[in-house]
Amino acid sequence: MSIVTPDSARLPQARGFGSQILRDLAGVALLAIASLAAGLVVNRFSLSPLPIVYQAPEQRFDAELTTLVAAAPFKIAPAATVGLEEFRSAVESKSALILDARPSVFFEQGHVPGALNLARDDFAHDYRDLAGVLQVAHDKPIIVYCSGGECHDSRLVANALLSLGFGNVSVFTGGWDAWSAAGLPASTGSGR
Amino acid sequence: MTPPDNARRNYAVLAVSIAVAAVFIYAAIDKIRDPLQFADSTAAFAILPAVFINLLALGLPPFEIACGVLLLAPPTRRIGALAVAVISVVFFTALASALLRGLTLDCGCFGVGAPSRPRMWLELALDVALFSAALFIYLRSITRLSARAP
Repeated sequence: MSIVTPDSARLPQARGFGSQILRDLAGVALLAIASLAAGLVVNRFSLSPLPIVYQAPEQRFDAELTTLVAAAPFKIAPAATVGLEEFRSAVESKSALILDARPSVFFEQGHVPGALNLARDDFAHDYRDLAGVLQVAHDKPIIVYCSGGECHDSRLVANALLSLGFGNVSVFTGGWDAWSAAGLPASTGSGR
Repeated sequence: MTPPDNARRNYAVLAVSIAVAAVFIYAAIDKIRDPLQFADSTAAFAILPAVFINLLALGLPPFEIACGVLLLAPPTRRIGALAVAVISVVFFTALASALLRGLTLDCGCFGVGAPSRPRMWLELALDVALFSAALFIYLRSITRLSARAP
């Protein structure tokens, strides 16, 4: 014999289930909030904490590159240097990759023939643009210059390249001032 | 239901709870080990805006561990099971949406792996299995609760 439960008896039971499920869902929501709080606390004391807002791998690489060229001048390690004659010979024989570390606006007004613009102030962007060329020239000597005199951009870029694994990087300390003062040829435009 | 049937069902609930708890705790450990990798995997779904990705990457592992621990203790099993059911639906929706959009990715569910569509289908099936198991545990727990009620 089967026992048939009348609808009037099922209704309170269903309501009981419904309110229990709602209470349990509230418990799950609390659990989620507590978990997020725990995650944030653990992250706060982590050795390599995540920033609150996600950065894509490209953004993280850019930030890393920007940090590399952001060293204060007094922290710059002495890079190898070349004089005007050695630099001129490297430019003419195309035996080295020549990089101009000045801002693009100065590069476009005039630069050493064959030089590429790896501006210190837009290093991450330019580095990504030149990644292919730099990769091909990985074992080739690289000479970096900026305006000359007291400019630090060439040293910062040279040291950043050394940090990124380029082995043969030097700085032409005379820079654009020495090159143009010597009446040597110049190119204009973006060079791309 | 006869008492032996009831005991068998209780053992089944215990066994399924332990299995689901093990899966969740295992999944959480890999995510805790490399939260950045998990954040990258989450970003690959292209569902959440950047502001929520790291919050998910940080909050999900403790949530998974909590689910596992709650499932192991009889008084809290009900909440743990419901939490697993809810999060399995979220995982399923995210994976299904990625598959429908033609994405090939590594979901980061169980550590780092190569992006693979067959693996995504497998993980989708796993979500269905986890949801079914969680629903079984939850319904069983809630039925026992109502049976004990005066």
